[in-house]
Amino acid sequence: MAILELRDLTKRFGETVAVDRFTLSVEKGEFVSLLGPSGCGKTTTLQMIAGFETPSGGAIHLNGRDLAKIPARSRGLGIVFQTYALFPHMTVEENVGFGLEMRKVPAAERKKRIAATLDLVHLSHLSGRYPRQMSGGQRQRVALARALVIEPELLLLDEPLSNLDAKLREEMQLELRRIQQEAGVTTLLVTHDQSEAMALSDRIAVMQGGRLVQEATPFDAYDRPTNGFVSSFLGKSNAIDAHVESVGADGTVLRCGDLRLNGPAHGEAAGPVLISLRPERIEFCGEGDGVVAGRVTERIFLGDQWLFKVDTSLGEILVMRRNSGRREPDVGETVHLAWQAEHLRILAVETAA
Amino acid sequence: MTRNSLFAKLFSLIFAIFMLAPLVVVVGVAFTPEGFLEFPPSGISLRWFWAILDNPDFIDAAIMSLQLGVASATIATVICVPAALAIGGGRFAGRDALQALFLSPLTVPTVVLGIAFLRFLSMLGLNGTFGGLVFCHVVIVVPFVLRLVLASVTGLDPSIARAATSLGAGGWTVFRRITLPAIVPGIVGGWVLAFITSFDELTVTVFIVNPATTTLPVKLFSHITQTTDPLVASVSTVAILFTVALMLIVDRLYGLDRLLIGEGSR
Repeated sequence: MAILELRDLTKRFGETVAVDRFTLSVEKGEFVSLLGPSGCGKTTTLQMIAGFETPSGGAIHLNGRDLAKIPARSRGLGIVFQTYALFPHMTVEENVGFGLEMRKVPAAERKKRIAATLDLVHLSHLSGRYPRQMSGGQRQRVALARALVIEPELLLLDEPLSNLDAKLREEMQLELRRIQQEAGVTTLLVTHDQSEAMALSDRIAVMQGGRLVQEATPFDAYDRPTNGFVSSFLGKSNAIDAHVESVGADGTVLRCGDLRLNGPAHGEAAGPVLISLRPERIEFCGEGDGVVAGRVTERIFLGDQWLFKVDTSLGEILVMRRNSGRREPDVGETVHLAWQAEHLRILAVETAA
Repeated sequence: MTRNSLFAKLFSLIFAIFMLAPLVVVVGVAFTPEGFLEFPPSGISLRWFWAILDNPDFIDAAIMSLQLGVASATIATVICVPAALAIGGGRFAGRDALQALFLSPLTVPTVVLGIAFLRFLSMLGLNGTFGGLVFCHVVIVVPFVLRLVLASVTGLDPSIARAATSLGAGGWTVFRRITLPAIVPGIVGGWVLAFITSFDELTVTVFIVNPATTTLPVKLFSHITQTTDPLVASVSTVAILFTVALMLIVDRLYGLDRLLIGEGSR
């Protein structure tokens, strides 16, 4: 059963359309991410759900209730802000208890629920601290506890990890997922960080220019992007312009300059298309076995991986190789690239929106 | 921590001497046993402090100044808190004009303000009344209060109020429980600065007082134009002690550097 339903949600600021007929439904207990670059309308969407912005059109339903008539203070949503927005003059306990106090929960029960929630985020030992006496990661947990303690029907996370350093961010990703699952709360995350969205979500909604461009599981969005934007935004990708030459039962034949490439079966009958190929699906191979040859122009060591830039007749191709301890080609060396036809993704050429 | 250079230390020392020297002279003179202004004093005597008690004019003037300071600082604060929340909180037509209006008394020479107030109050028939004095002092101290309150309002994360709203707080509750406590340092700082400014104000006040509403600075000023006994020094010393005590209390409660410089010490 869908707990949150956005239907044709639209927001205009004067002439500009920030959110354009955005439709999405979120199931109970699900973790969904709104992913997109800054200015794609994801934050505005969240603000409309929270009640801080009024939609120009469309509808938001939460558990069957139309939110349009319900003010922000009565929506009962748990919100974690990018800046955490902790109340600086209140202790951790008072911060977490504020929502319960507003709901006139009796003091004894309040105490019990605060303790249980602080336990959930592993902060029981710091309940008497003030926010300024805590680290970024700890403040993040307080903000999460404050939002969860009211047992919201929906938890909204607005770029919650963007103020943490890289290592802490990875730790908090795991923590966030654990806490969300333990609390069993339906969650909508807004983020521009594709790795965060992929690591945390059951489903990703990719936004571009105020519109929904793809809604899929992280694996499908990564592996079967519906357009060039999604494929380049989620991870690294090689985008190659090509023409469909022929479509057969066992695959598509594509022409790319002088080169003929085999791809998986595809609907486009003819005409220009965009090929997307993930760098980690490309192998180095011996002469003769390769699809295309090229010269390594750059080699970047990433620890667990190597990233190569190879200059080929298809243009510059990125190749990602797991660091297996073997010697890898050096800058200037000629390499031969091969991949399986099924790893090519044939995408429609994007027309200017 | 960076260590200050010798030059910076020397500069600070000279600056401190420059600031404190007149105070040291005034306090020193106050303890003279003689009947004229003498520094360094030839002995130590509380004669001129006891003399204050024989001059109820000074005590009345001091009480008047206290009342005036408290009234004008409080009224200015009540005006400035909502004004700062509006100006600092968002964009609206006339926002910059409003801010400029509130700060404009700083840019008008005080002598001009004094003459203008004199004419204005005469027209209203309020010249020399306590109400008229309070009105003028409110105008003078409003910029000080607004600047400090505005600084703490703009330093406030707007998400904090939204967080409280999302947790179920209504507009008034958000203000009382969240916004107001968060800007209290600015409000207290603004009030104290306004009080001191009003307590100390001479140039404008001298135009608009009458003998019944004479303030301490005006009384001191008129006293030294007639005589040069050390009574002015002892009165000044008491005033200095009072101000220092006020500052110490505020510093204990909120930290002066935080109030007057900003949130850096957090």
